[in-house]
Amino acid sequence: MAQEQKPGGLKGALNKAGDMVGGMVGQASAATAGSHNSEAFVMNACVSDLYEVEAGRIAAQRARTDAARELGLMMVDHHTTATHQMQAALMSSEVTRVLPNLKPTTQLDNRREGMLKHLLEASDDDFDRTYLDQQRTAHQEAITLHKGYAENGDNPQLRSLAMGGLPMIERHLKAIERIGVH
Amino acid sequence: MPFNPLAERGLPLERQLRSWSELNVEPYDTRAVHPYTRCRVIVMNGIEVESIIFSHNFNRHCADVELKQRLQMIRRIEQQQQKAVNWLIPGEAQENAVEVTIGYEQVAVDLTAWLARHEPDPYLKQVYEFGLLEDFDHLYRYANLMDLMGNGRKAEEITGNYTDITPGRPTIFEHRDPRDDIRRPMTVQAAHRQSILNAMTLVAAEQQTMNYYMVVGNRPTDPLARAVYLEIAQIEEQHVSHYESCLDPNMSWLTNWVLHENNECWLYWSFLQTEVDPRIKQIWELHLAMEIEHLKTAARALEQIEGKDAAELIGAGYEAPMTFEENKAYLKQVVASQVDLTAWDAVFTPVTELPEGHRYFGYQAAVNAGGVPTEEVIRRHREKFGGEYRREDDPHSVAALQESGPHDNLGYWQAARANGATLGASPAAE
Repeated sequence: MAQEQKPGGLKGALNKAGDMVGGMVGQASAATAGSHNSEAFVMNACVSDLYEVEAGRIAAQRARTDAARELGLMMVDHHTTATHQMQAALMSSEVTRVLPNLKPTTQLDNRREGMLKHLLEASDDDFDRTYLDQQRTAHQEAITLHKGYAENGDNPQLRSLAMGGLPMIERHLKAIERIGVH
Repeated sequence: MPFNPLAERGLPLERQLRSWSELNVEPYDTRAVHPYTRCRVIVMNGIEVESIIFSHNFNRHCADVELKQRLQMIRRIEQQQQKAVNWLIPGEAQENAVEVTIGYEQVAVDLTAWLARHEPDPYLKQVYEFGLLEDFDHLYRYANLMDLMGNGRKAEEITGNYTDITPGRPTIFEHRDPRDDIRRPMTVQAAHRQSILNAMTLVAAEQQTMNYYMVVGNRPTDPLARAVYLEIAQIEEQHVSHYESCLDPNMSWLTNWVLHENNECWLYWSFLQTEVDPRIKQIWELHLAMEIEHLKTAARALEQIEGKDAAELIGAGYEAPMTFEENKAYLKQVVASQVDLTAWDAVFTPVTELPEGHRYFGYQAAVNAGGVPTEEVIRRHREKFGGEYRREDDPHSVAALQESGPHDNLGYWQAARANGATLGASPAAE
């Protein structure tokens, strides 16, 4: 994606507010349908990983601090792995015999598209803060999604996937909060 | 009708201990033994070793003293079973380390091929076919090494005409970043019962191969032989990680114990039906009777401690015996369609489709710098004998892997060159 420096100011504040509202919507969605319905879980988890990879790529190029840049690179690696784990899970007959048409989602939703747009629009001075704010919100949502499905999900293979991915996402959130403190 | 081990009567535990003289069995005659009898012996040794190592690990994580005693009772008997099986392999003068190695690789090929063909889960089938092509190549590399080491015996005297000896996915390209050996696990709750048996069997067999090369790889004096063992031993570690990551990581120790005993029952039952050597068949029969009691002991512990019914883990019983048989046509088709696949995390993709600068190429550059023993062994064989050692009925199903090439056409060589890899070797036949 093209990187164009935009001023922060009012636009930046509106974008941040938009990301926060979107995050609240995401939390609600993750806590309801995504916590027990397989189709909703797969769609949300896939889109979450797609967003993390894209945002991580942008951060790897634009972040001003080493910590935010390294976080971005780690997100690309780890969420690519999560995407591949999901692809493998959806090949398994443990899933296909009950949900034969369930495929990994390969396109971002409007909300995550908006978050990436806001990231690209952030000024150089605001970039790291914007990225870390988005990361905090996105990981809180992902934890709600994975924890909910791990406890209440209706497919054993996908429940196992949620359980296997959750510790990594929790470690990510801790890392994001550590960076935010400094 | 399925064979349900829980419905059978086994040999009571108190009658299972054997004397040293009973355990010190007469080895098979290396020139008379059926190749697949050797394979069955190698497999069952690996299965017993895994059951013992698993039990030791369980013991280290178990505070329940009385349960530890039950485990120890079974473990001691399984140690005896391992001796009775592994001591069937004759000593160095009859069958030296590289000859036994050819047997190990024939197991890796024909066991993995059978399991892949009978695997009901498409993802796991892909996992097995991926590993199969790598062991298939090891057989060819070791066969060339055996010829070079020169006691006059050919690898096909070990394998018979049951298994082709020809390139698979070239070993040089099997070395991948460690993160790309981790697969997606099954769940005991939802997996097909056959999938559990297949995965546990492969883990044990590959682990035994890994352990064997870790121990015997430094026994040859010839530097090339030591180097070939060293390189392939590293792939066996990849394979153990590859297969064991398919197992359910969330099952309890007791469930795992039941599944180990069940796996042993399935294989002894399988080999009892297919064994052609009457003396060795008696060993399979005796050990099946023992394992039925081991399984019942584990099942009782599962019921007493966790309140779970082992019958739910085993299902109605075993439908089909694992059978050593020719897999040549299947191998040809898998090589032709999958030789260029590599792994990226838990999925498989043509190597030519990896993104530029993928970690695979960095790992290749690191480990293959300064020469690749499994390429060198073929080059050395061509130099000494004017060609490679192969045992194939028809020309290779992949033109780039035929002895006369064109080797450069293999996707792997193209991807390596496109990524500027300096592999320290050229294609074997260049």
